[in-house]
Amino acid sequence: MYVGSDLASAPLHTALTLVHAPDSCRQRLSSLGLRIGAPFSLVSRTTGGGRVALVAGSRIALGSTLLAQLRVEVR
Amino acid sequence: MAVTEQPGRALKLPLLVGPPSVKACCHTGGGIGAGPEAPVVALVGAPNTGKSTLFNALTGSRVTMGNWPGTTVEVSRGIWKTTRDAASCTCEECTCDPSELRLDITLIDLPGAYSIDPHSPDEALTRELLVGVPEDERPDLCVVACDASRLANSLYLVAQLRELGLPMMVALTMLDVAAKSGVTVDLDALAVALGCPVVGIDPRRRTGLEALAAGVREHTGIAATPRPVPDTTDALELDDDRFTWIAQAVTAATSAPAVQPRTFSDKVDRWVTAPVLGPVIFLAVMWLVFQITTAVAAPLQGFLDDLFTGPVSAGATWLLGQLGLGGTWVEGLLVSGIIAGVGMLLTFVPLMTLMFILLAVLEDSGYLARAAVVTDRLMRSIGLPGRAFLPLIVGFGCNVPAISATRILPSARQRILTALLVPFTSCTARLTVFVMLGSVFFGPYAGTAVFAMYVISIHLVVLAGFVLRRTLWRTMGAEPLIIDLPAYQVPTLRLTASVTWVRLQGFLKTASGIIVATVCAVWLLQSIPTTPGHAFGEVPVAESAYGVAAQSITPVFAPAGFAKWETTSALVVGFVAKEAVISSWAQTYAVDEPADGTPGTLGERVRADFESSSGGHPIPAALAFMVFLLAYTPCVATLAAQWREIGARWTLFGIGMQLVTAWLLAVAVFQIGRLFL
Repeated sequence: MYVGSDLASAPLHTALTLVHAPDSCRQRLSSLGLRIGAPFSLVSRTTGGGRVALVAGSRIALGSTLLAQLRVEVR
Repeated sequence: MAVTEQPGRALKLPLLVGPPSVKACCHTGGGIGAGPEAPVVALVGAPNTGKSTLFNALTGSRVTMGNWPGTTVEVSRGIWKTTRDAASCTCEECTCDPSELRLDITLIDLPGAYSIDPHSPDEALTRELLVGVPEDERPDLCVVACDASRLANSLYLVAQLRELGLPMMVALTMLDVAAKSGVTVDLDALAVALGCPVVGIDPRRRTGLEALAAGVREHTGIAATPRPVPDTTDALELDDDRFTWIAQAVTAATSAPAVQPRTFSDKVDRWVTAPVLGPVIFLAVMWLVFQITTAVAAPLQGFLDDLFTGPVSAGATWLLGQLGLGGTWVEGLLVSGIIAGVGMLLTFVPLMTLMFILLAVLEDSGYLARAAVVTDRLMRSIGLPGRAFLPLIVGFGCNVPAISATRILPSARQRILTALLVPFTSCTARLTVFVMLGSVFFGPYAGTAVFAMYVISIHLVVLAGFVLRRTLWRTMGAEPLIIDLPAYQVPTLRLTASVTWVRLQGFLKTASGIIVATVCAVWLLQSIPTTPGHAFGEVPVAESAYGVAAQSITPVFAPAGFAKWETTSALVVGFVAKEAVISSWAQTYAVDEPADGTPGTLGERVRADFESSSGGHPIPAALAFMVFLLAYTPCVATLAAQWREIGARWTLFGIGMQLVTAWLLAVAVFQIGRLFL
């Protein structure tokens, strides 16, 4: 079980659930569909160590500094 | 028709609001908006859901659109001319032809917002106009554009608006994109779940607009029952309630495959945002853009140049001769001033058109949003979020809208910093001078020389940002990259042509306004003698007010290798607008004939001057001049935009910073360059 890991170390193409996001960007992420408990997956790596997340049909690019602050679980 | 309003510090927009559609009749119309009694319909929705495309389709206007977030940063207003059923006319003494009952609607296009919790000034503006104004000034109907291919994310704003009980309906876009992913949407079920009307539309192909019009006619001014919400002020609890409501609506109205197939966008993104390949592709795309621009535009420029310097000038001279004005100051103003100057400027229309087409294609395809991801690391090195790249890339087209686009940034300090960096992005007006100097000094390598200017421009942005970040902005925090990537799409001819035309119009307006005024001012200064023995309009340029003024600042540029008054005077004119640099040269050289009487081309004259001012090192001197041109104040219009966005103090700071940077760089380029070239 991949419990409470940071998103930077989560595998690609695996169903994930967000379990924690910093207060500073939680609302922004929520408005894009990436909220606590929401299912999503990572589809690719980007320049600068970021990832592209697939959330309810949307592709959201997340920067590397943010990845380390987001905690996820493998579903 | 449409106008774009510039929201200032006070965000209140004077909406022309009247009672609901009952009073609207064929007698309405006129002015900006459809008249004081016309219903006001606001287009809202998350960024990149097709609002601006819809606005343009409904009003026949041309608001700038793009397939990337943050394209709309101002409020546009237009008239949506529609008709209504004769039976629905409630005018007591209506004299209209029943078959032609018009209903003119004032349509306003608000900046994209994921929610009414503002994260940036443009989102704050949307909130202000929807809920910040008194109830009687609010729109009569909100049409919320929602993307069917990512429905859940589009519905957060719907959830919030439904809580307020505003009259609203949903216009569902991107149904074709959703279908490609195997997602189908039941519009009736969605309408029931959301508690408001829903219509499916495709604004790019202009389908479904009649159904939208019918929905608007039916529901304008009819307030919906507010959606009940938990009795709490806890934001997280409210959010949970909204997301549960959204999830229920999506479940009730859509069917999607259990595992989402990898889309074309996913496959392309694997390459274009990849860690190593992404930046390489980005640079290759930018290089290709400028290579195509310079290679394809060159023959067209040549043709137009021949046209203006040949038949047009000769025709004007003949005509003035027939009118008895041959050899007078009128001929000087018209032929050597306006025709030579503006004519030269117009020869660059093909170049600008090509650049605008290519940028529009990149925007509409969805690539520019990926470019923001690829450059995020670079932007982060100067403490700016990846989103700051968007105004900066716009700056490569024109600095003026780029300054406005800084409003998509959430923090005031980020906006000021970005607005100070935008002038270092090389706009298309500077491109015209680079192309000319590239052709004159670098021959077949002109494209590479121009590309080098763009590479230097990017480095200048980073360097200036780096220095400012570690000095005046050292206490500013960094924001993580969070950016919505739109699906790739094939650019449509209509959209590309529309965006290109809007930008080309802007260029032409500049040409016919500031530039013509500048050219005339230059001609006037060149006609005023400063030494006795010369009449007005019959003075050698070197002894004119223009020549004397330019000569006074010329020594400053001696260390940069272009201390020739003909060269530095072009820089003075370029402060007003870079488009005027070449036209001022054309004026100067056309007026100031060489002593031996050989006409020579403009390029030969310029090269000869650089040759003599640089002591036999024309190439490093030309490079130094190009770098100076790149780094100093872009134009007065940019200064005006900066003044509006970041205030006088920072604008003046920016002017000083750019002039010092430009001079230091130009001197360094020439002094180092002359050791080798």
